[in-house]
Amino acid sequence: MTVLTSQNVVKRFTEGKQTVEVLKGVSLDASRGEIVALEGPSGSGKTTFLSILGCILTPTEGRVVVDGQEVDLSRPGDLPAIRRRSIGFVFQQFNLFPALSAVENVEYSLNVRGVKGSAARREAERVLDAVGLADRKAFLPRDLSGGQKQRVAIARALAGAPPLLLADEPTANLDSHAGRQVLELFRDLAKRENRALVIVTHDPIVRSIADRVAVIHDGLLAA
Amino acid sequence: MVSLARRNLFHDKLRFVITIAGVAFAVTLVFVQVGLFLGLLDNASVTIENIDADLWVTSRNTPNVDFAHTFPESYVQRVRSVPGVARADNLIVWFMQLSLPTGAQEGTLVYALEDFKAWNLPWSVIEGHVEDLPRGDFFFLDDSATRRYGPFAVGQHREISERRLKIIGRTDAARSFTTTPIAFMDTALAQELSYQALRGNTTYVLVKLAPGADVAAVRAEIGRRLPYNDVFTKAEWAQRSRAYWVANTGIGLNTYLTVFLGILVGVVVVALTLYTSTMEHLKEFGTVKAIGGSNADIYRILAEQSVIAAVLGFAVGAVFALAAGPGMEKAGLKLIITPDFGAIVLVGTVLLCLAASMVSFRKVAALDPALVFRG
Ligand SMILES: Nc1ncnc2c1ncn2[C@@H]1O[C@H](COP(=O)(O)OP(=O)(O)OP(=O)(O)O)[C@@H](O)[C@H]1O
Ligand SMILES: [Mg+2]
Repeated sequence: MTVLTSQNVVKRFTEGKQTVEVLKGVSLDASRGEIVALEGPSGSGKTTFLSILGCILTPTEGRVVVDGQEVDLSRPGDLPAIRRRSIGFVFQQFNLFPALSAVENVEYSLNVRGVKGSAARREAERVLDAVGLADRKAFLPRDLSGGQKQRVAIARALAGAPPLLLADEPTANLDSHAGRQVLELFRDLAKRENRALVIVTHDPIVRSIADRVAVIHDGLLAA
Repeated sequence: MVSLARRNLFHDKLRFVITIAGVAFAVTLVFVQVGLFLGLLDNASVTIENIDADLWVTSRNTPNVDFAHTFPESYVQRVRSVPGVARADNLIVWFMQLSLPTGAQEGTLVYALEDFKAWNLPWSVIEGHVEDLPRGDFFFLDDSATRRYGPFAVGQHREISERRLKIIGRTDAARSFTTTPIAFMDTALAQELSYQALRGNTTYVLVKLAPGADVAAVRAEIGRRLPYNDVFTKAEWAQRSRAYWVANTGIGLNTYLTVFLGILVGVVVVALTLYTSTMEHLKEFGTVKAIGGSNADIYRILAEQSVIAAVLGFAVGAVFALAAGPGMEKAGLKLIITPDFGAIVLVGTVLLCLAASMVSFRKVAALDPALVFRG
């Protein structure tokens, strides 16, 4: 079942008199249970594309449908609701809340998504167990290793069962051993919970866990 | 529910303390300044508030109770004959000279009546019987006089207008705005002491209304019969006495200015600490937005932080202000902090702190969540 559809996405940035066309018509789909690796040289537009798929940026032209919801370019105010309902993010720098413990980091994002009270706490504990951090729930991020932090971030993305998971270079701040562990965990969980996962990366290990590799080059997908 | 607002606020303890201190400082300043202001003003009308009169007849254009002018004492008869008047008596308020045993001269503000009991004056007697005042060269003195005259006791003598008078009682809480100590004596004695000015004269007529009398009608009728006097209700006369001092000394302006400065300092401290905190947590706010948080979610975080700062700062500031009260009392200053005023300050503090958080909110509202993917 297709969770993500994007067709002929074009993104232009205008800075003063200069306009750069970063994406020149990119199309990419992803289905539930499918893992897509998105590769490409630095500056090729990977992050820009992922931001558009994640409804954080709007495309200049093109069509994006997430979980059945069509992104309406004229209504940027609708985007936060789509993110809340349907998308989980994992960032290169983890982006955990430093003042919140592991379980609270997950719980807080559930609160933002509209899950409150003990239901949020139970779901947060469930996903932390799933990423193997049952014994680190009360730890603050500063007391966790890089790999553990990224696992908390993965738990946060999984929580609340959004059908689409997006990760931008999730292993770039980890050594190759921790990176492989995190990726394998991420793959297993995405598969088990039947989510679509798009990972932007330079990391060759990602290829080995992905079902499909898309390469972006100069704003276009290479064949 | 997890409160990111509270966790972030308490996470940086030093800044949290600075924020609370800023609010507390402002709150203390406002309480002490306004409390002192109200205390001073209270002195300006405390006798009026306590004397059991419904109407006051004064000479024309008397600006406040201390600055009395004379008019014939016989006018009281005309007042007594007005329908609706239950009782009317002359009250003399007059400034006289008191000689201390050291030979030094000090001023004293004399309140003279024939029947003190009937008018609830003095309202707080510590020692002595006011009924004894007409029986000789006697007077009562308020305890606050100790600051100006030194210690005194019942049974001792002091000279007023060069006549040796015996102190036969002590009172409490009778004050004048000018801090001139208040003495109480019989009307006839006061008229003898200031013979030139007071012979056959009074300075006020106190009026008690009959039950059910129409205040406006009685007042108008007294005004008609005494065309060269003024008639005030108790509330108006108290207000007029206070307003005189507010308008003619710097205390009104001074209070407004310090309150304004206090508020300014408080708002600036809160706005700045909240803003620097927001700037440091900008990436977190970006993350909140990226995971779907709306501007309302963001505003709730900032509002919660500023309300916590406001309430805790208010509590600390109020405790400081209340703790300052007894010390001020020792210095002869009255600090009046009423629950009503406290509630106003609390609401004002919360509203101003919320307003201060708007600076941060504008910053975060304009934040592009795309920054979460950047380094
Ligand atoms: N907000 C923006 N305004 C202007 N130009 C932008 C903006 N965001 C991205 N760009 C430009 O778009 C191009 C692609 O940037 P992007 O971050 O998507 O690349 P990337 O493939 O993720 O690179 P890297 O592998 O280094 O992360 C860059 O040339 C960048 O300068
Ligand atoms: Mg990138």
